[in-house]
Amino acid sequence: MRKIKLYTIALLGIILLILGWNQTASGKVYIDIDSPAFQKFPIAIPDFKNLSGDEDNKNLSVWFSDALAKNLGLTGFFHVISKKAFLEDPDRAGITAESIRFSDWINIGTETLVKGGFQYDGKELSAEFRLFDVIHGKIIVGKKYWGKFEDREEMVVKFASEVLLALTGERGVFGTKIVFVLKKGKTSEIYTINFDGSELARVTYYGSIILSPHWSPDGKSISFTSYKRGNPDFYIMDRAKRTARKISSFGGLNLSAPWSPDGSKILLTLSKDGNEEIYVLDPASKKLERLTRNPSIDVSPTWSPDGRKLAFVSNRSGSPQIYLMDADGNNVRRLTYEGNYNTSPSWSPRGNRIAYEGVTNGCFQIFSIDKEGSNILQITFDGSNESSSWSPDGRYLVFSSKKDGKFRICIINSNGSNMRVLHEGVHIHSCPSWSPRLNLY
Amino acid sequence: MKKRLTIMGIFVLILGLSVIFVTGCAKKGVVKEEAVAVEERPVAIQPSEAELQKEREAALREKALEEREASRFKDINFEFDKFNLKPEARETLRRHADWLLEHTGFDVIIEGHCDERGTSEYNLALGERRAASAMKYVVNLGVDKKRLTTISYGEELPLDAGHNEESWARNRRAHFVVTSQK
Repeated sequence: MRKIKLYTIALLGIILLILGWNQTASGKVYIDIDSPAFQKFPIAIPDFKNLSGDEDNKNLSVWFSDALAKNLGLTGFFHVISKKAFLEDPDRAGITAESIRFSDWINIGTETLVKGGFQYDGKELSAEFRLFDVIHGKIIVGKKYWGKFEDREEMVVKFASEVLLALTGERGVFGTKIVFVLKKGKTSEIYTINFDGSELARVTYYGSIILSPHWSPDGKSISFTSYKRGNPDFYIMDRAKRTARKISSFGGLNLSAPWSPDGSKILLTLSKDGNEEIYVLDPASKKLERLTRNPSIDVSPTWSPDGRKLAFVSNRSGSPQIYLMDADGNNVRRLTYEGNYNTSPSWSPRGNRIAYEGVTNGCFQIFSIDKEGSNILQITFDGSNESSSWSPDGRYLVFSSKKDGKFRICIINSNGSNMRVLHEGVHIHSCPSWSPRLNLY
Repeated sequence: MKKRLTIMGIFVLILGLSVIFVTGCAKKGVVKEEAVAVEERPVAIQPSEAELQKEREAALREKALEEREASRFKDINFEFDKFNLKPEARETLRRHADWLLEHTGFDVIIEGHCDERGTSEYNLALGERRAASAMKYVVNLGVDKKRLTTISYGEELPLDAGHNEESWARNRRAHFVVTSQK
């Protein structure tokens, strides 16, 4: 990973205090993403000013505003207003509150505005960003970044994260990756891709079947099941060293499942005792504890965000359904009753909902249900969709999709809006899993 | 016609003369006769070596054929999301068991497979169950459990790449792979 030196400071901290920063600090949420009436939030991002005062680097002016618009657009929360609609005279307006005529912005229907400027001397690049509440005519957040020319994307992503924090109360998922499986012919390999669809990277080169990759909560390891030695065995790969250790290779299935939220334990499905049961493994001591005791299929366990409960799939009722139990295997209860095929549970990091896939009209679709077993929400409708995994902020789901002979990894807002294709092709895409925040930069 | 008869006549004549010539010579020296006998030995051995080789090849071929025949063990098929054995699957498994009871020098890997629908993880478990159902049935018919192993490939290795009912039905299977015992 690129390790760069970048200095970030809160710009104009004093000014922020004077101008009433305390309003945001006291928890004003501009965008209530969870509201059922949520509509995309308007934001305007004019071209950045060259603060060196010269006429050079015109394209950098456009680049900064476009890059920020692209990143904010990816969240699905913003309606970025077209530059063609702008009324402001860019030559006369500045980038500070006193040099902005806010009526120019209110009149085009925006509620927020990002102004920015940069200085580039051919070696060092600095850029400052300010987010304004145009209705109240005041700054919400401002930051200045110093670095090299190559660091400009990072500056934009960092500020996009600040915008999200200031407006939604939570940082976004910039700087996360999705791991998934790409199958060509009889073999499959693990790949990763960034949240914005950039940097597709192949992770494994085993030339055999591979399944169910999961991130460790620190993002440093990826666990998976591989047939590279003939049997479906369980491995953990160190991402930095690119080496994998075999952790479990009992006869039968050694099926990878998620790590506990604190990273100390890993769930597994093993069939060593003659039928598929759920176990929890302490990878340090290799201590293995069996959690289910049922002659039916028990598979695909996942943790609640507090690590105290598990959701899993069992066909003990005759068809695969989602069940919940305590982390020690007690208090098993059935969660899903609608439909006769419900699998792949994934517990929202917000704790309240569980996403899964079910069959409707003969096709697999992604649903979510609250942990009490009510309020079912169908999230996908088109094609056949499987294996959902939540983003670390619980706002999005990633899933694999199949339609018209094309295979895709897609991202969707958890309310079913704003679907975006992350990667597509003619080969089978499966088992996507969203990373924790990785601190990519 | 006439010409051919003439040629045959000449041939017979030469043959007769040569017999007289050989027997005539034989009388002349015993040493030479012995030498011929000594030389004959390797000549006699050579075809038997080739025969052995042929025999070995034939045996290998037969074994290969047998293995190929064995590896052509018919798949047994299942209903969607089911691992119970249908009557025709039981019939097929009885034939497989008969062959295995006759040919004790072979082991079997029973692979469990699913169609592409559903979760890959659940399908791995389901494939495991299908292989286990087939194994249990064959063991009940007297085949030594030690000769059998199971492995599930879930939906990962479809037989038929199609995406329709017919392909799915073929892909929901338990497949027998016969191996020679080592």
